[in-house]
Amino acid sequence: MNHEEIKAVVQEKFLSSEKVTAFLCDAKVLHPDWVKKERLLAIVEYGDEKAVFCLFTSCYPPKSFTDLSVEIVLPVDNTFKCEIDNKPSDPEAILYLNLQSRNNKFKFEIQMTPRVDNFVDDLFRGIEAVNKLQLQPEFLWLKKYNGKNEDDILAHTMVAPRGGVTHMQNSAPVAIRESLIKRKMSDKENDYTFTKKFTVFCGTWNVNDKSPVIPLKGWLSVDKEPPDIYAIGFQELDLSKETFLFDQTAREDEWYNAVLGYVDRRAKYVKVEKVRLVGMLLIVLIKEKHFSHVRNVICDTVGTGIMGKMGNKGGVSIRLDLHNTSICFVNSHLAAHVEEYERRNQDFRDICNRTRFIQPNQQPKGIKDHDHIYWLGDLNYRITELDPQSVRKLVSENNFLPVLERDQLKQQHKNGNVFSGYTEGPITFKPTYKYDPGTDNWDSSEKNRAPAWCDRIFWKGNNIIQLAYRSHPPLNISDHKPVSAIFMSEIKIIDEEKYRKVYEEVIKQLDKLENELIPQVKVDITDIDFGTVKYLELQVRTITIKNTGKLPVEFEFIKKLDEASFCKEWLIVEPYKKCICADETCEIQLKVLINKTSACKMNAGIDKLYDILVLHLYGGKDIFITVNGTYERSCFGCSIEVLVNLNKPVREIPVGKLIELESKRDQCISNHSTYSIPKEIWFLVDHIYLHGLKEPNLFEQPGLHSEVLQIRDWLDTGSIDPIPGSIHSVAEALLLLLESTADPIIPYNLQSVCLRASANYLQCKQIIMELPEFRKNVFLYLCEFLQEALQHSAENGLDSKTLSTLFGAIFLRDNPNVIQEPQSRINKQVIDKKKAHFVYHFLTNDHSDLIFAR
Amino acid sequence: MSSGPYNYSYIFKYIIIGDMGVGKSCLLHQFTEKKFMADCPHTIGVEFGTRIIEVAGQKIKLQIWDTAGQERFRAVTRSYYRGAAGALMVYDITRRSTYNHLSSWLTDTRNLTNPSTVIFLIGNKSDLDGQRDVTYEEAKQFADENGLMFVEASAKTGQNVEEAFLETAKKIYQSIQDGRLDLNAAESGVQHKPASTGRPLAAPPAKNDNCAC
Repeated sequence: MNHEEIKAVVQEKFLSSEKVTAFLCDAKVLHPDWVKKERLLAIVEYGDEKAVFCLFTSCYPPKSFTDLSVEIVLPVDNTFKCEIDNKPSDPEAILYLNLQSRNNKFKFEIQMTPRVDNFVDDLFRGIEAVNKLQLQPEFLWLKKYNGKNEDDILAHTMVAPRGGVTHMQNSAPVAIRESLIKRKMSDKENDYTFTKKFTVFCGTWNVNDKSPVIPLKGWLSVDKEPPDIYAIGFQELDLSKETFLFDQTAREDEWYNAVLGYVDRRAKYVKVEKVRLVGMLLIVLIKEKHFSHVRNVICDTVGTGIMGKMGNKGGVSIRLDLHNTSICFVNSHLAAHVEEYERRNQDFRDICNRTRFIQPNQQPKGIKDHDHIYWLGDLNYRITELDPQSVRKLVSENNFLPVLERDQLKQQHKNGNVFSGYTEGPITFKPTYKYDPGTDNWDSSEKNRAPAWCDRIFWKGNNIIQLAYRSHPPLNISDHKPVSAIFMSEIKIIDEEKYRKVYEEVIKQLDKLENELIPQVKVDITDIDFGTVKYLELQVRTITIKNTGKLPVEFEFIKKLDEASFCKEWLIVEPYKKCICADETCEIQLKVLINKTSACKMNAGIDKLYDILVLHLYGGKDIFITVNGTYERSCFGCSIEVLVNLNKPVREIPVGKLIELESKRDQCISNHSTYSIPKEIWFLVDHIYLHGLKEPNLFEQPGLHSEVLQIRDWLDTGSIDPIPGSIHSVAEALLLLLESTADPIIPYNLQSVCLRASANYLQCKQIIMELPEFRKNVFLYLCEFLQEALQHSAENGLDSKTLSTLFGAIFLRDNPNVIQEPQSRINKQVIDKKKAHFVYHFLTNDHSDLIFAR
Repeated sequence: MSSGPYNYSYIFKYIIIGDMGVGKSCLLHQFTEKKFMADCPHTIGVEFGTRIIEVAGQKIKLQIWDTAGQERFRAVTRSYYRGAAGALMVYDITRRSTYNHLSSWLTDTRNLTNPSTVIFLIGNKSDLDGQRDVTYEEAKQFADENGLMFVEASAKTGQNVEEAFLETAKKIYQSIQDGRLDLNAAESGVQHKPASTGRPLAAPPAKNDNCAC
């Protein structure tokens, strides 16, 4: 089968107004709960709306649309996403197509072929088009594809990830599990069934618009034993216009009652079902004692007459389950006229393709989806290549063989054009058409038609033996003679006890499979020790996750109960979410960086370098990854009140002591303090004062990060060596230190007051006078130093405006814990200007009065 | 095809808790695979297992979460209690310390699950009777005083393992029948799935707000 032929089959699955615009074979759906079997992906267009269908096919390539069942429907709307991953390294050129629509995500594995390009192009065109629409389409046409509303489609196909460890629902699509159980059970059918022989009577008669005015006993009740099942088909029950147009006729009841009256009297029969379309009537009866074992009786009709759908020709069918065997009876009346055998072949195919038995909550069944099929009717095939006189002569001599060789149906059947897979028994009776009604004489009308075996019975299925195949000439009211066949058919009967055992076994196997399919990974290290971690010094560790399971695994680091984020603020995890294919690995980088925010918390003992991360596998387990390290305490991130109390370098202060001081920093009383400003600030300022006042681009040129870190260690250890690094590194360290203090130099709660006062020097001075002791000291000390620096502006290039902007941002730091109103950029500029203005006063005015006021 | 529903009508969520090394993972493995897992590594996280059982003719899918027992993970594993219909609390009959910690495990369970959660106490390693450190009577008394169901079991021999999981399910099922367990409550730990429709539970929409990003 080529691509176009398969496409035609796929198209048949849809209405003609729903056009299959592109499709792909061999798409494997990657989902832990689903069988990784080939699917077909089709893009179907209805007007302006498009949807992607994932179709499961029972055989490959699909021969008929009944082989296909719709599994997933993804409407292409503005939530629709299509992503393609490929691995160039893969020799087989495998692509992964990720499709997403309304929270439903699916991943398909497909072979790279030129068709994929067409498919993806078509899809992207659809996405582009839908995103341009003002109003989103409603996709009403999709509703019928599961008989319920669209939300049900979505619920059905939903893959429910567990949002966090607190949401435990893990409901997987269980429909697939059900179908797996069914398939496994049917594979093992022989283990829990035994067979019993049933006799099936099939009869067909084209009654040529006649009422049942003669007894039918000679047709229906001529055998030694009464059959278990009757399937009786009539054609041309009523040729009136009314019947044709309105599909109503009184003949249905007449013939039905006649059948009931003339079936074998030795047994009691009950109706299984009857179904009629215009002149075609099919009646199925069963012995009363078997009736309780009949289930799922469904009928359907297909018209293939005028315009390919009217009911003057076509087929009517009844399907049922008898014990554990599914049976389908078809009564058909195919196209007439000698030369129209191709048309008859087509009618047969149409009936096969269009007959659908719809059961609630199950995939519709076609005729072929049955263990036993009996097909009877006026199939209308004629004798060609032989003139009527010769036929009549040969037949009258009971020399059927040369005539049968020219029977169109035998020829077409042999060539595989019709009834492929079906069997017909040997014909040993005279042609059943065309007689003068009321006689056994061949048609004497002007047309003088050649006799033909129009009325036939075929069967398909294992363990069916035909016992008789005959016509019944004495029933002569029509221009056709009735035909009947008796079959001995083996019906599978369930041994309940064995069934139960096999069922339990299957369930157990599936449980095992399900547990095996739970995603499995190996993580090389679950305990990560960062050792000593220092302020502003990034440290990186790598862990490797290997997918040891059979399916792709999607992992994500998830939040713990009542936590805002999946990890602490000082930790960065990259990637925190990814999909890993089977046998592949993924490296995850864990980076620790202690910045001013986390340093303050570490110093105060509010936080420590310890965290447990929850690595969640979708549809599977969680793995805990422990991260820990020791934070090397530093003057960075300490509060000014604590620093002035430290008469030793920070590292020499016991951790506990530092935490205690930090937690009580509000209670520090000036009289007991060692210094009036932190010695670390003094060291840095003094160094610049002595060595760097004339340094060009002072405070403007950045220092070296490595030197800043050396300066940090120098301050923290109280080294007796000279301060390392360049003036610029020292200046940067000073700025970083001032920025990192646990509280800003001007408390957060005074910020708005300062901004309002920024135009008025006297008010600004007033605010400074009221600052907490040490912060005031630091503020004035730095301002004095900056004034000094400005004296050398000729060499260092400083100007008071630049300096006030720089230090304005440091002195009047924004509170990181207050979520800022989304400020417009202009508003932010205004605030920054006011901060600068505030500081500007103290860089340009003499404020020695404030110092002496102390 | 015939008889009986092919599918399960309920999903029950279980958690298994208790000190490190009492055999929680081995109990789960014995229950799902009917095998003893020697040299079972410590669980670092939460393992997941499932099995379909039948109670009163109803198919029930058990979703079992086997938690890490190490003390340092205690804060994290607490996240997993919520929404459990059954809690299997395990100690090791050969190590008294694991028994002594039961009251703390019980406190967590009571605080973090709902009142109708069925708590089943399992004294594991009953095959090591010679090294017994906790008598059956003592544990039985503890169970009675706290209204817990109780058996001594062996993940190694399989003794009483099936029973513990099944009895818990029966008790949960009874609670549903009696109306004591409100299926509509989000945290009942039970999901009902009408078997006749052959459709899966309408899954809750993905909680994007829970993603850590």
